[in-house]
Amino acid sequence: MKVVIIGAGFAGHTAALYLGDALGKDHEITVINRFEHFWYVPSWVWVGIGRMKVEQTRFELAPVYEKMHVGFVHGSAVSIHPDDRYVMVDPAGGGEQQKVDYDYLLIATGPKLNYDATEGLGPKHGFSQSICTAPHAEASRDTYFEQIERMEKGEKVKFVIGTGHPSATCQGAAFEYITNIHKDLVRRKLRDKAELCWLSNEQAVGDFGVDGVMARYKGEMVTSEQFIGAVFREYGVEWNVQRAVHKVDESKIYWEDASGTYGESTYDFTMLIPQFTGGDMRYVGTDGEDVSERVVNAAGLVKVDATYGLPFDRLRTNPTAWPELYQNPYYENIFAAGIAFAPPGPISVPLTTPNGTVISAAPPRTGMVSGITGRIVAKNLIDLITQGRMTHGERMTEMAAACIASMGDSLWDGSAATIMIYPVVPDFRRYPNEGGRDTFVTHMEMGLGGAWMKRMIQTTFMHKLRGRIGWKMIPE
Amino acid sequence: MRGAQVTKELEITDRDRARMNNKFLQFFRFIVLNLKILKAVDRSKRA
Repeated sequence: MKVVIIGAGFAGHTAALYLGDALGKDHEITVINRFEHFWYVPSWVWVGIGRMKVEQTRFELAPVYEKMHVGFVHGSAVSIHPDDRYVMVDPAGGGEQQKVDYDYLLIATGPKLNYDATEGLGPKHGFSQSICTAPHAEASRDTYFEQIERMEKGEKVKFVIGTGHPSATCQGAAFEYITNIHKDLVRRKLRDKAELCWLSNEQAVGDFGVDGVMARYKGEMVTSEQFIGAVFREYGVEWNVQRAVHKVDESKIYWEDASGTYGESTYDFTMLIPQFTGGDMRYVGTDGEDVSERVVNAAGLVKVDATYGLPFDRLRTNPTAWPELYQNPYYENIFAAGIAFAPPGPISVPLTTPNGTVISAAPPRTGMVSGITGRIVAKNLIDLITQGRMTHGERMTEMAAACIASMGDSLWDGSAATIMIYPVVPDFRRYPNEGGRDTFVTHMEMGLGGAWMKRMIQTTFMHKLRGRIGWKMIPE
Repeated sequence: MRGAQVTKELEITDRDRARMNNKFLQFFRFIVLNLKILKAVDRSKRA
């Protein structure tokens, strides 16, 4: 059997390790990836302030795949031919397109950073910084250092960090970036020269696209809005939420708030997370016709075994609307994991402004969720190939996730907010409390221990993802 | 859940700041957090 995985991020690479380990010697497992390295994306918040070198966040994929009996094609998948079961790849070194056949296909491409959806957004054609790719994180660091020089000369600098699109996700990364900037400026004794502002599409500060978190803290139930609000007050960060950014120019960010009021924020340095969409691949039928409607939604995200089109109120009370197997219903040999799969809707309450703009943070599917979905698909593919039926499944309404948001990287005086949630998507049937989550497991705290956790997780994940001894024992 | 809800402000006190930087206490919390993550993973691992 031939299994092809497109993408070697958290989801694709995790799946490749499990598949290679179980089937690599007897079957053909191939990973197609446009980068020759695995990138540990969560550490780019530190690259973006010059506290970590980008080389420390990556390792070469080829030696790992050789060890795990997995083939590696270094190139970009340009088209998928689901009726004829092959993928066309543009090799990274140039030359003719390569045809890669498959019996089972896992699409784990991660996001396309859709800067074009917001005028003037992004470092390439726009004015804002980004920490979403390694070169972007390095460019952000260089621009950040320019601001440091200005502050050292006595100038005041305004930083605006957050989301650059009404449906952006990954607010956690932006939160880490702004708190790390605060810590770095304190360390440089320049904090009084900087104004830090948070600008996001969240319904409330601390929402993070998961409808916030409710957990016991200091003996009472508190919300993540109270928790993150306390952090921002402590760090002197001014915050604005429920903002849909429409445009960025060289000195201003233009937004609309939930009441439909248009406004603008000035900035000297801004890092805004763009909208995430699916990859740019074409889906081609036997006669060359476009079959993308069978595979992906309008945003290019792969349709899976979710119930799409439910109004938010019904989705909120229907945990089984969330996918279990991450399998395309039309082509049953196509699966998707990580950001590539289309969720059935938002987790947080969507807002519509009087002008018709929908402000709705997309569900986060990065990090732990990516790794878990990659593992589930891999285990089901192993089942299908060895037993002919799938035995694994896990919905986001059954999945736990830990988010350790760095608030200073130092192992001596750093800090981190550790937020554990179970389940990721509230399930009000199983947990009929206000948050819809298990209040024993769901947890929030901050302190130096979190900074140690963050560093330990990077070390253990890099160990796991290199397929080193005991890798399977380390959870995703 | 918390869209327009007005919530009571949480305050970080001097005692909290001391707790957050106390190496011995934080080492204990580090162990507890590890156990909590393992518990969370165990509870969710239907797959």
